[in-house]
Amino acid sequence: MRKILIVGAGQSGLQLGLSLLRHGYDVTIVSARTPEEIRSGRVMSTQAMFNSSLQLERDQKINFWEEEAPKIQGIHVSLSAPPGQRALEFYGPLESYAQSVDQRLKMAGWLETFEEQGGNVVIHGATTADLDGFTRLYDLVIVAAGKGELVQLFDRDDARSPYSTPQRKLSVVYVHGLEREPHHPEPEVGINIVPGLGELFVIPGLTLSGPCDILFWEGIPGGPLDCWDDRPDPQEHLQRTLDLARQYTPWVYERCRNVELTDPLATLVGAYPPVVRRPVAKLPSGGAVLGMADVVVANDPITGQGSNNAAHCAAIYLQAIVERGDQPFDPAWMQATFDRYWEYASLVTAWTNAMLQPLPEHAQAILAAAATNPTVAARFANGFANPTDFQHWFMDPAKARAYLASLGA
Amino acid sequence: MAWPSSPEPPVITSAKIVIAGGFGVGKTTFVSSLSEIPPVNTEAWMTEVSEAVDPIEEGSSKTKTTVAMDFGRITIDDSLILYLFGTPGQPRFWFLWDDLCRGAIGALVLVDTRRLDVSFPAVNYFENDTGLPFVVAVNLFDGRLWHELSEVRDALALSPEVPLICCDARDRASSARALQTVVTHAMQQMGSSGPPPGALIGR
Amino acid sequence: MATQQPNRWVRPYVLTAGRTRTKRPLLMETLVSVTNYDPGFATTLLPESRALYEYARRTLSVAELSAHTGLSLGVTRVLLGDLVAQGRVMLHPTSALTGGGPSDFHMHHNVQLLERLRDGLAKLA
Repeated sequence: MRKILIVGAGQSGLQLGLSLLRHGYDVTIVSARTPEEIRSGRVMSTQAMFNSSLQLERDQKINFWEEEAPKIQGIHVSLSAPPGQRALEFYGPLESYAQSVDQRLKMAGWLETFEEQGGNVVIHGATTADLDGFTRLYDLVIVAAGKGELVQLFDRDDARSPYSTPQRKLSVVYVHGLEREPHHPEPEVGINIVPGLGELFVIPGLTLSGPCDILFWEGIPGGPLDCWDDRPDPQEHLQRTLDLARQYTPWVYERCRNVELTDPLATLVGAYPPVVRRPVAKLPSGGAVLGMADVVVANDPITGQGSNNAAHCAAIYLQAIVERGDQPFDPAWMQATFDRYWEYASLVTAWTNAMLQPLPEHAQAILAAAATNPTVAARFANGFANPTDFQHWFMDPAKARAYLASLGA
Repeated sequence: MAWPSSPEPPVITSAKIVIAGGFGVGKTTFVSSLSEIPPVNTEAWMTEVSEAVDPIEEGSSKTKTTVAMDFGRITIDDSLILYLFGTPGQPRFWFLWDDLCRGAIGALVLVDTRRLDVSFPAVNYFENDTGLPFVVAVNLFDGRLWHELSEVRDALALSPEVPLICCDARDRASSARALQTVVTHAMQQMGSSGPPPGALIGR
Repeated sequence: MATQQPNRWVRPYVLTAGRTRTKRPLLMETLVSVTNYDPGFATTLLPESRALYEYARRTLSVAELSAHTGLSLGVTRVLLGDLVAQGRVMLHPTSALTGGGPSDFHMHHNVQLLERLRDGLAKLA
């Protein structure tokens, strides 16, 4: 039985670990925290997952929260221009629903399930010294701990990393009591763009205490939405989130009359530069380890693709591992495995990096058309579930014009 | 502590207290003054991108950072051993601190009044990131207290409920008294409001 | 000193909040012993595991085993986990496990044990 060790117990590491168990591998997951610590810790992400990713979880029978979690039926885009006035809006229904399950709930549960199903769990914060030893003991060692220090082992790929500084300052708060959008009572993701300043995302989710909503501000550095460096306490964090909503997106603020924090650790502040890294890291003893998901491709969360990328990466790596049979997991195989993931991730990365910039004229024309043409709105919304579609229309001026012309828009 | 390996060695319970503080505050001295074994250390190392690297240059230079965790052992009785673990001086690697603190009875944060700032990260860690009971001890390097404890408390912005004491890390009895304070404080915290909410608070 | 030991050996699995079985984390201070040393078994082990198996003939903590074998803590934990699963080494209780929550970062501690610790330290003071 082939022995595989995965460092990291997030979306990609646990999904891959659980899937490998089902395929009969001997799998060890090294997690820096116990399930109880994960469950009782701070929120980690906004983790909206769209249908193509949810399907990957269904395929592995690990969609444990599908019934409980709010089913997100559409994407509602609003443009606040000038700031505070809604200049444009459109709603695009999703062909299949999206969901966001608090990773405290999900990763703690998956880690326990992994152990129940016969996986080995080792509670340990791994260092490079550990990886060096692991490579001698396992057929394959994968690093899936994107938020830890181990990522520095993987060289930055300068050609694929246009940014060297954070493009947004991030602020997340989980709340109960948000009222539904009056015209669309079903759960929807709200994307509220304040040109030049940032974005407010409103994402229905499932947290420890039940259904909730996630208010997620992305602030362009140096602007008025870049205001979280003082790491406010939870109540102040919520208050500031609401104050900004009142000022820049009053239509969201109107729904916030009765909101309260879901729990004292329901806030998160952060910022990181988007980066693509080389997927294979060599260790002093000669062994090699393979990076996965946000260890190797860490995009800004502006397109909500982080956990979706992680799910796709886990599925692609699983397939590559199974296809490899008894052949060695050597560095050439590792590189080729990542290259299969990059075929998908490169398109997501290009789209995400573009969304961080002021939108070019052709993209503005698409959003304007979406406001009056439901076909355009639907295609934009469903691109979040299938982001490889954007290359065919949204990302290219000529294709965008041709598409809009074909609709007579 | 060598037991015959068969048929079954006696059951011994182990406990742990974490000795924290910045570089040069006397952690190793403290552990040595009490430990019945010469201080041992377990080393970890991390590969990091060197800060000084010129970003224009192709390829990044990496450095190997070694992190040592000193520890010592005190046999309390024939079925109870207390381990003392010194935190690594590298405050960047918080996950190593988390590992040391998991399951600990409490922590002693050593401070040097001439260089209080080196212990700020340790105080912040215990105040904000864990629910672990902790005591702050001014290490009397030359046997003298140079500043009033109330001044030290203000300078460290310590909450009133955190005990602040003096100790001489070179002196076994003084160090033992400091540990007693940690144990007593942990017992009081248990008695009062129960354990603080589960504590590995994200950063 | 005769102390009550309600649970002589620590079983590797415990119930977490009535939900599911979860393995106890190997803490730095967790003491490890080989119960019935088997020289034949020792020869079947990888060098790293064998070193741990030999050292654990004395009762030593995870941290000491890592320091003595020169194995990283992570490797020590992984390999000890295997030996525990095979029933070849046993884990002693830690103060953090006697009182309550098995996997909380801030674990509960038994009051009587803390009293013993306090009184033991008093003899050194």
